[in-house]
Amino acid sequence: MGNKLSRRRVLVTGAGAAAAAGVGWPWVALAQSGAATRPLLTVRSAADFDLIDPAHRRNPTDGNVMRVVYQRLMQPKPNSSEVELDAASEVKQVSPTIIDFKLKPGQMFTDGFGEMTAEDVKFSFERIGLPPVAGAKESAYKGDWLYLVGVEVRGKYDGRITLSQPRANIYDVVIADGSGCIVSKKAVEQRGVEFGIKPVGSGQYQLVSLDKQKGAVLRRNPGYKGPRRGAFDEINVRVITDAKTADLALRAGELDFAIFAPAAADPLRSVAGLTVSDQPSIAYVWMGMNMEKGPLADLRVRQAIRLGVDVDQMLLAGYNGKVPRLNTALPPQIMGHWKEAPVYKRNVAEARALLAAAGQSSLKLRLTILNQPEYQNMALVAKALLAEIGVTVDVDAQPGGTYWSSGKADVGKNLELYMSRFNAKHDPNFVLQWFTPSQIGEWNWSRWNSAEFDGLFKAAGSETDPVKRRVMVMDMQKAMDKTSAFVWLTNEASALVHKSWLKPASVPGWGDWQYADFSAG
Amino acid sequence: MQADTARYLASRLVTTALIVFGAMLLLFTLSSIVPGDPAAILLGPQATPEYSKRMISEMGLDQPIHIRLWRFFANVASGNLGIDIVSGRPVWGMITAVLPYTIVLTFSAIFLAVITGIPLGIFAATHRGSVMDSILAFISVAFIAVPGFVIAIFLLLIFAIWLNWLPVLGTSRSGDWLDEFRRMILPTVALSLGWVGFIARLVRTSMLEVMGENYIRTSRAYGLSERLITYKYALKNACIPTITILGLGIGRLLGGAVLIEIVFARPGLGRLIYDAISERNYPVVQGAVLVVVVVFVLVNLMVDLSYSAIDPRIRHGSSGGGAA
Repeated sequence: MGNKLSRRRVLVTGAGAAAAAGVGWPWVALAQSGAATRPLLTVRSAADFDLIDPAHRRNPTDGNVMRVVYQRLMQPKPNSSEVELDAASEVKQVSPTIIDFKLKPGQMFTDGFGEMTAEDVKFSFERIGLPPVAGAKESAYKGDWLYLVGVEVRGKYDGRITLSQPRANIYDVVIADGSGCIVSKKAVEQRGVEFGIKPVGSGQYQLVSLDKQKGAVLRRNPGYKGPRRGAFDEINVRVITDAKTADLALRAGELDFAIFAPAAADPLRSVAGLTVSDQPSIAYVWMGMNMEKGPLADLRVRQAIRLGVDVDQMLLAGYNGKVPRLNTALPPQIMGHWKEAPVYKRNVAEARALLAAAGQSSLKLRLTILNQPEYQNMALVAKALLAEIGVTVDVDAQPGGTYWSSGKADVGKNLELYMSRFNAKHDPNFVLQWFTPSQIGEWNWSRWNSAEFDGLFKAAGSETDPVKRRVMVMDMQKAMDKTSAFVWLTNEASALVHKSWLKPASVPGWGDWQYADFSAG
Repeated sequence: MQADTARYLASRLVTTALIVFGAMLLLFTLSSIVPGDPAAILLGPQATPEYSKRMISEMGLDQPIHIRLWRFFANVASGNLGIDIVSGRPVWGMITAVLPYTIVLTFSAIFLAVITGIPLGIFAATHRGSVMDSILAFISVAFIAVPGFVIAIFLLLIFAIWLNWLPVLGTSRSGDWLDEFRRMILPTVALSLGWVGFIARLVRTSMLEVMGENYIRTSRAYGLSERLITYKYALKNACIPTITILGLGIGRLLGGAVLIEIVFARPGLGRLIYDAISERNYPVVQGAVLVVVVVFVLVNLMVDLSYSAIDPRIRHGSSGGGAA
């Protein structure tokens, strides 16, 4: 589980792939893929598309298509968070801040945009990680390439990535993920804003059409020279926002694959020809408290609230009990997960005693949540449970448009209790980045201002020794626990529903689907 | 006569411009009151304070309403509905990509409602008090009362799952017209059933009212056939309130078929507006709402103009009581 990549492994994998290249790697790859091809795969996307552009993508939906349209130097293996070589024949960590790469020759961009070179890699990474050149739009993913100094082109296929500080997660959440996708420099310059809907990559599939509210049609890229050839001639990603429609489309045979909340998938478990499997997620959900707001500034009040709620009861109400309980910020799949984190049990007497000690006899608090059924149900349970310890909770369910602003800027100072959910990646720094002091007024809605946490966060971000880093990450979770400002609820789960003949592929828990690695079993 | 019509048209065009201006003013005012940081919603956790500030500036949300309104209309006058802040693409292009789906669905639903609702209304009026009249009244009220999306789910269960006659998804990827037509059937029926009931009740009531008019009694006294009286004289006049309602209905469906579009996973203007509002993507909201308002007003203008074609006694600009 977790990130199993080390510097040694990068070098070894690189050498192996380079050897494969020497004996004609494309043919090796084709032979390895083995499975027979099928004409069409139709999958559901629960959200609409925006831009299939690594620098300006907006959501995982864009990312899912992006990862089959573009190649990266490295990519996660099918159904794994471990990475392997993709467009590169070699990736070498020369020093903690220098990474050399060598591209495989003959990798062609679609639409006649020529061969991929180190210049394209430089352009792709720098347009995200460095300040935009005149007229260009800054990438919202600039933070992914934190510490990037630049990419030096050392030959047609050779380049060097230089960082100002070591990055522990540079491979799995940057180079092998969305911000590591390699675009054609010439195509970006030529197509301008149209590039996001008419992307040019060198991946397994080529985007044939992208229609708002309708979906994306991907067709096999005949020029793809990488190691993982897709099993389908065409992939149709349909935007189906309504879960019931997706359910019916699966039953009617119009859809091959869809993701549901576990409870929504229950009616499909008995349908012949469909397979339903539950997959734990790494998205994390918690109830937070604003540590700067009135009585919540008192540690005893926060402790009382944590002891006043029953997480298991809340999960039963919110998710029919079909999701795992989370006891710390990092889900078990992520490196540095604090396995021994305390599992708080409801204790009404102790909670009341803490409130009495804090001088709170008739505490009233507002719980701000997103107006979705799971949060509403959990909030109602929390309200009932907290009433028993003498805390009156007013549930404020808001639509996404207002909810996602409620903890930001000066408005966030008035937030009291809140329930939130963040997506994650298999890297502790990625998960914990929202709780640093610099995020107060942005995404640190608990307004937790801890120099200790901040120091550990920075140190862990640059620490390349996994053992030392693990200790730092655990200490960060312990520091969070001490505040009592976070009641961890769940890392959720998804139900994968697909035709029984289909074998889906994804980076476990990310919601990052590897469409090109879906196969007919 | 022609001068009257020209004057009437000119005055309606001025009214149209005022309605559009009023609607946009209302929209701009509301958008400045509604809470929610567009940058936070559009950019998510990746939004840095600098980037958020720039996005707010690009959307013009840091400007007073009157300046934003002025800029918007100045751009509209030059054929520019604005730029989608997310994709950097013209809003007009996004609207034209989904507008055909909405137009086709709206007009096919209204067409189906008319060709079904009017005969049912006539039948009910000409068989007033009969068992069939009561049954039609019950069915019509049921169609009106049950929301379209509920009907949609039942239609899907019956025709797509149990009978397997029609597809679930409301659009195809192939561009095959026959396939597109098959996929149109269920959304059209789901959207039109409420209107079928409504038109049937309206036509029945209007028909009964018209059938009691003096000129109908006179026609009968002259010995004209009941068929001729019903379909030529009574129906023509009974249709005027129905046409008025259809004009309003078309306008409403243009932006309001959102639930049907969601259930059938079908693109449409309603969904575009709904999604843009959820994301506080104001350039798209403004552009799409403007299109809906303009189409709505134009359809109703055409409805008004059609009155005189149906009933020559009606003259624009007159008090409406002029004899033929």
